[in-house]
Order: sequence, then C-alpha cells, then structure tokens
Amino acid sequence: MGSRRYDSRTTIFSPEGRLYQVEYALEAISHAGTSIGVLSNEGIVLAAEKKVTSKLLEKDSSEKMYVLNDQCVTAVAGLNSDAGILVNTARVYAQQYLARYNEPVPIEVLVHRLCDIKQGYTQYGGLRPFGVSFIYAGYDDRYGFQLYTSNPSGNYSGWKATSVGANNSAAQTLLKQDYKEDISLKEAKELVLKVLSKTMDSTTLTKGKIELATVSKKNGKIVTKIWKPSEIDALLKETGIVKEENEENEEIN
Amino acid sequence: MSGYDRALSIFSPDGHVFQVEYASEAVKRGTCSVGVKGKGCVVLGCERRSTLKLQDPRTTPSKICKIDDHVLLSFAGLNADSRILIDKARVEAQSHKLNLEDSVSIDYITRYIAGVQQKYTQSGGVRPFGLSTLIAGFDTNDTVPKLYQTEPSGVFSSWKANSIGKNSKTVREFLEKNYVENMTEEETITLAVKSLLEVVQTGAKNIEISVMTPTSIKRMTNEEIKVYVDKIEEEKKIEAEKKKPKSRQA
Amino acid sequence: MDIILGIKLNDSVLIATSKAVTRGISVLKASDDKTRNLGDHSAMAFTGESGDTVQFAEYVQANLKLFSVRQNYELSPKAMASFVRKELATSIRSRKPFQVNVLIGGCDINKETPETSLYWIDYLGTNVELPYAAHGYAAFYALSLLDRHYKPDLNEEEGIKLLQLCNKELSTRMPIDFKGLRVKVINSQGVKEYDDLTAL
Repeated sequence: MGSRRYDSRTTIFSPEGRLYQVEYALEAISHAGTSIGVLSNEGIVLAAEKKVTSKLLEKDSSEKMYVLNDQCVTAVAGLNSDAGILVNTARVYAQQYLARYNEPVPIEVLVHRLCDIKQGYTQYGGLRPFGVSFIYAGYDDRYGFQLYTSNPSGNYSGWKATSVGANNSAAQTLLKQDYKEDISLKEAKELVLKVLSKTMDSTTLTKGKIELATVSKKNGKIVTKIWKPSEIDALLKETGIVKEENEENEEIN
Repeated sequence: MSGYDRALSIFSPDGHVFQVEYASEAVKRGTCSVGVKGKGCVVLGCERRSTLKLQDPRTTPSKICKIDDHVLLSFAGLNADSRILIDKARVEAQSHKLNLEDSVSIDYITRYIAGVQQKYTQSGGVRPFGLSTLIAGFDTNDTVPKLYQTEPSGVFSSWKANSIGKNSKTVREFLEKNYVENMTEEETITLAVKSLLEVVQTGAKNIEISVMTPTSIKRMTNEEIKVYVDKIEEEKKIEAEKKKPKSRQA
Repeated sequence: MDIILGIKLNDSVLIATSKAVTRGISVLKASDDKTRNLGDHSAMAFTGESGDTVQFAEYVQANLKLFSVRQNYELSPKAMASFVRKELATSIRSRKPFQVNVLIGGCDINKETPETSLYWIDYLGTNVELPYAAHGYAAFYALSLLDRHYKPDLNEEEGIKLLQLCNKELSTRMPIDFKGLRVKVINSQGVKEYDDLTAL
C-alpha cells in the first residue's frame, strides 16, 4: 500500500516551462457555456449560456450563477462541481471577514483569496488544478462596482466588460465593438443579451437557455439578484430579442 | 516512508534537477522587468501586458509590488505564483518588525525570499516557483540603494542594474553598455525606460515604473512615463539624423 | 493608575495618555508612550497589565500593517476596532487572556467626507463607539467634566482646552503623579503627536 500513496503527482513544469495541467484546464473551460459580464456606473450584469436544456429539467435550477455575499455575485464557466467547492469557500471567507472586521469583504480581497487557493492547486495542493473560471460582479465602498475574472492558473484581472467560456474571443470582439464608457444598466443588459444571442450555438435566446444576474443599487442599498426564468422572459420580450423566438415557438407548436 | 519518493524535483542520472530548469523557462516566458540603481535612488520598471480596451487598469494587479514601506519587488514568470511568494515575504517583513523592532533589511528579505524558493525545489509534493524577482529598497537610516535578484533555484545576487524575464539578455547587455555610476534620479529613470524600450515596442502605455528614494516610493503615471519616452525617442531621432549625412559622406 | 482619554471633535479625535510607568510604589519612567498608530489615520491607546499591553498593541499594529500592505488599502477605524474586539474576545476565552483595555481613534478617509470616530474596547471584548471615553480610574474624574462641557462641534483648540481641564482635575484628585499627558491628534491629514499637553 505504501508506494501507492505517492503515485499521485501535482502539477509540474514541462521542459518549455509550461504547466500543461493548467493549460488543459483552460482548454476544458473553452468548451463550457459562455458567461459574460458588463460593468456600468449603475451596476453590473452577468449572463451565461446554459448548456443543459432538457425539457424535463426544472426551470428554476441555477447552475452558473451564485450569490457569494450581499454585494457579490459570480458566474462560472467550467467544471460545475469544482466551482461548488470554491463558491463554498468564498462564502465562508466572506462571512469570516464580516465577523472579523464588521464590514463586508472588499471584492478584490475576496477574489484575491480565491485565486490564492486556485494557485495552490497548481503548485502543491491536490492532483489537478481547479477546472473553472469565474466572473465576479460586486460592489464595495472603495472602488464602487467592479468586475473581475479569474482562471485555473490563479490569475485575476479587472474588466469593464468581459467573457469566459466557449466563443470567448468572439464575445470579446463584440463587447469591444459595442461597449461605451457611460453605458447604463439597461443598456448593459441589452448588450449582454445581444452578445450572448450572437455567440451561442443555438440561434435563438430563450429563458431556458440563459441565466442572468445583476448587482445594482436601489435606494442607496446594494442589491444582488439572480433572475427567475419568468423575469428573463419578460426582459427578452422587452428588449425585442424574443420576437423571433416567439415566432419560432409557434412554428414548433 | 521518509518522503524522499514524493519529491518532484529530483536529480536525473546526469545531475540535472529538471523541474528547476523548467521553472527557469517559465521565467523566460514572463514579461521583462528591470531594476537600476542611481545615486540615492533605485528604479524598478516592467513591461505591462498590453491592457485590452475593456480591461480595467485600476483593478488589474500590477507587477511591481510593495513588500513593506521600504521594499519593492518586481518579478518575471507566473503571475499567480508571485502572489504567494510576495505574500510570504510581506508576512515575514511584518513578523520581523514585530519581533525585532527593526524593519527588515533588503539583504535579509532577499535571503528569505530566495530561501523559500530553494525550499520549493527540495520539498515533497511541490513544484518550484516559476519566478525570478528583483528586490529593491533602502535599509533603515541608510541612503545606499539596494538591488537584488532571486531565481527559481533559490540563488540570489546583488546588482547595479539588471533585468529578468523575456529578452532579459538583450536588456542586460544594453544596461551593461550604458550604465554609469552615481546617476541622478532623472538619469536613472531614463536608463530604465530606455532599456525597456529595447524590448517594448508599444511605448509608454505598456511600461510601468516605480521610483524609490530613502523616504518615498513613487509609482509613475502613464503621462509621466510618456514624457520620458518622448524625450528618448526625440534623442534617438536626432541621433539617427546625425548618422545619416555621415553615411552619405562615406 | 494609567490614564487614557479620548475625545471626538468636529473633524478630529484627541487621544491623551499619561506618561508615567509605575510599578508598586515606584515611578519607573516619566516619558512613556501608551499609544501605537494603527495606520496613517488611526491610533490606539492602551492600559492594563504591563507587558500584555505593548505585546497586544504591537501584535495588532503588525497585523493591520500587513493587511494594508497586502491589500494596498487601509481598513476603516470601525473595521480596526472590530478586529481588535474580536482579538480580545478570542483572547478572553483562551488559557491566558490579554488584560488590555484600549481606545481607538481614527479618521475614515475613504468616506465621501472624512469621518472621525472613537471606540472604547475593554478586555472582555466590549466595543462601544463614543463621543468621549476613558478607561480606569481617570474615568471617575474626567467623565463628569466631559459630561458637562462636551459638545460634538468642538474644534481642535476647544478640545485641547477641555483636555487641559481634565488634566487639572486629575492632577488635583489622583493620588499619584502621572507625569503629565501625551496627546495625539488624529484627523484627515494624519496623526500629530505632542509630547505634553501643558505645552499646547
């Protein structure tokens, strides 16, 4: 039994100085459904493409959006089971910070902490890195609304608009084209849906295929919200993107 | 069960520790950093990966980090690894001050960082840090600038000016050619920017510079760096003009 | 019989601490500093078991400094006070608790308009935000004066005057010579230190 225990190997350098396990993890994420985040002065919108769309699936189950604390939401791309572990860690850390300092955790501190854990798994932790990228949307008094991404290597960076997952580069190009510095929250929602509708494999958006979350300010208080399918449906109708879908639905019906 | 069989960094039959050598390759893939000492000042500079249009420069981490009020560190290699190593150094800096009253000396913190890097080449279940670092600063009550380099193997050395990361050889050769003793702050910054421009084509927006004196740390803004870049380019142009007629005469 | 006093003013906080170190019937030192700065805009005064006090204060100081270097941002005085409270609350439940009482004065410069605050924290882990506060015997003499003369819109000069009033009363009534008061003034500009109140 003795030697078996040591068979496992953590991530190691390749002769070119690369970490293949990390690169493979990134590869895994490039097959996951796209997630998009857009930052505005009034708040942040996150949207994600749902890959599993069975009619039998309960519509209200969220698989890619998680509330981390009262002022931060995250969208994941990659292995959902891995994400669960990190989301749980983040939630615990956020509450520990609150208990300790009597102040909500600054977003970058939270992102930093999660990335240190991710990094650990590329150097000494377990057998493989975490196969998951995140988009974090949050608010704190220091920097206001903020948008970050992190990936399996444990790197993170701040963005005005960004995407992770499949068709990432296409989404990024579209975002670059249409993003304005003074974008409103409403426009941000429209932009997110527009980009998602163009990058998704299926041609039309339906409430069953996407997930949506927002962080915004209401009456001076920060509100984090994961949207219900019915609300997404209403938004799709409002933005007009749903029109084609209605027609198509009628055809199917 | 002594754990020797868990080591990832072991000798190959011909005496190489491959993981350490491969880690150095990771360093060579990292963006370039330079450090230059002047009279009463030391300048750290690095190439900044081109910030994409939608990236938020305010919230994207920098490659020049503060270890304590009197120590700066810049690195080349794996970004995520750097955060871990830097954090260890920061904890050591404060712990040292708590236990011994005095702040860490630059020599001490360099030895500490190199020591951590060495440990990761010889411990079970870990890979080495894919990092080289440049450590700059001033000891307490001292006006002599210090500049050190550490490598993934845990080797460290003291320099007048040096560079690490991608194209570091080109930059180091440039520094060797152009370094003079006792430069003023302005000359030191100019040399640092000039050496970076050897490998950074896109100018000021892709350069980061921090200047240290015994009493201050200053991070230069893009505009301030641009002033230097413009001046250097102006000089280069004049230089080129001078050369032209000569070559014609010849 | 150490004295530590704190007064929150319109745009600053005053912290005054006695300069004597006493042990038994002896005065060992007349120029002690019973405060530590916790950041650029906050300071903590402490009394209690000698040895415990400095050990605890410097431990807190080092940890908050580490936080600010790590995150490139300084905690608010409120967060610092919460941190200190938590440390003391953990300590009281350990085998050998710290016997330290503290006052924390600070200015939160991250707020839209800088906000000053004063926290009273004891070794049991009680944390109260107050307009003026004191620990130990000094509280008996000084609080009545402060109750009578304190106004929230006092400026720095008036605050110093009030402190001098307290100093006079304390000198008259305290059974030992506490060797005068050292003063720290904390506002949005930082922490100013004065070796002796009477010189102001």
